[in-house]
Amino acid sequence: MPEKPANDPGAGWRDMVAQWEKGINSLANQTMASDEFSSGTNSAMNVALRAQQVMGAAMSTYLATLNLPSRADVTAIADRLQTIESYMSRIAAALEAQQPPAKKRTPRLPKAGKPRRTKRPPAQITPT
Amino acid sequence: MGKPKNSPSAPVESVSDRIAAEVERAIRRNVKGLEYLASPAPVVGATPKELLYKRGTLNLFHYLPMVDEVYRVPILIVMATSNRGYILDLAPGQSFVEFLLKSGYDVYLIDWTPPSAEEKSLRFEDYTLDFIPECVRRVRKDSGVKDLTLMGYCMGGVLATMYVSIHPKTQPKNLICFTTPISFPKMELFAKWSDKRYFDVDRLVDTLGNVPSEMIMSSFDMLRPASRIAGQLQLWENMWNDEHVKSFRMFERWSNDTLPLAGEYFRQTVKELIWNNSFDKGSLMIGGRRADLRNITSPILHVVAEHDHIVPYAASKRLIEQVGSSDKEEVVLKGGHISVVAGANAQRRLWPRLDAWLGVRSV
Repeated sequence: MPEKPANDPGAGWRDMVAQWEKGINSLANQTMASDEFSSGTNSAMNVALRAQQVMGAAMSTYLATLNLPSRADVTAIADRLQTIESYMSRIAAALEAQQPPAKKRTPRLPKAGKPRRTKRPPAQITPT
Repeated sequence: MGKPKNSPSAPVESVSDRIAAEVERAIRRNVKGLEYLASPAPVVGATPKELLYKRGTLNLFHYLPMVDEVYRVPILIVMATSNRGYILDLAPGQSFVEFLLKSGYDVYLIDWTPPSAEEKSLRFEDYTLDFIPECVRRVRKDSGVKDLTLMGYCMGGVLATMYVSIHPKTQPKNLICFTTPISFPKMELFAKWSDKRYFDVDRLVDTLGNVPSEMIMSSFDMLRPASRIAGQLQLWENMWNDEHVKSFRMFERWSNDTLPLAGEYFRQTVKELIWNNSFDKGSLMIGGRRADLRNITSPILHVVAEHDHIVPYAASKRLIEQVGSSDKEEVVLKGGHISVVAGANAQRRLWPRLDAWLGVRSV
């Protein structure tokens, strides 16, 4: 291992950062391992989720009244489109595979010639 | 003739040399700092590959061989569901996949993209009775070889071991796991945060569908809340060093690129793996089959990290203790959850050792 320079002015700073990081992480881990932390954060999350549920339901009703799609509707359409795109690209790939090589328009990633599967480890050792 | 530099023959530098070096570093740090802000993110995952199969969140890639002669047995890597596979293919010269290819392995990778809203219903059953078996079938067809080595990282290792334990008659030739938790309650902070007295996983999944990536990333960050700030301070100090900056940016990009998790899969993880500890106890049922680790009889290597803050040793050691294989080995290496597989330390400590273990079992 290389020897550390004797008069490295950055060494003190690095040690200080390392000690600070270790101390904060250790303190935070102790705090976060308590029942109080778990109970508090999960209560806060439950309140946020409940608010989100209520808001979501209210917004959906409001948007439906205005005859507008909600975020869920748009996401569902996006998912359906993605599925259709995926099917289309698979159909295109299947059709392309059926064409004779000269007629292929989109170049595929050049596949290297199949290598021989005959490699042996450098020093053949029988596994124990 | 210049003054003696810092070397074994002249270990002590003069104070003036040291000051000159620090001033030069400070200047370079400022110049590089401006470059850093203006430069694009580093390219990762650049090893040539082709997409063999895609279905929703599932992507099966085949890396193009780099040598003319490969081992008979191909490798199928199962990536963790919460992160991108390019951690195993960072940059040329620092890529685990590239190392495997150059060492003569034929490599396939199951990588995940964010599950769509429709995929919130994905469960362990989908991963271990559909996705992985389908990929195994495709790898066998593509390679023309029935045997394969299954390799899994973190939750990818969990899915791989679940798959093998519920398919005891079709064992892979080899099984390699990296930092794979089995005893989930031993991941103490995660277990505490998801304490069933306070954590309403049903409400979370029923409200959100899929679990957002921000929530996953925050939970990882909370394990070491000061480390991100400390990392930024270290970056500033090493801004003059191009290699450090490049490496930092690649890891930073990857750790920020967390994936959302399918809602039902998350619900099962919490209830079955954390609350009931059913995988460790051998009581986990997947599609009516018991996921019993004793059913695993393939040669198995489990690589764990000494300083893993995400999957501590107490959580991962149960794998080797429980599997039914007679040829089994656990390797504990210095490093953390990520640095054990990627980066300079992994390059030196893990990769050659893994090659030595796998080479003789891949013919």
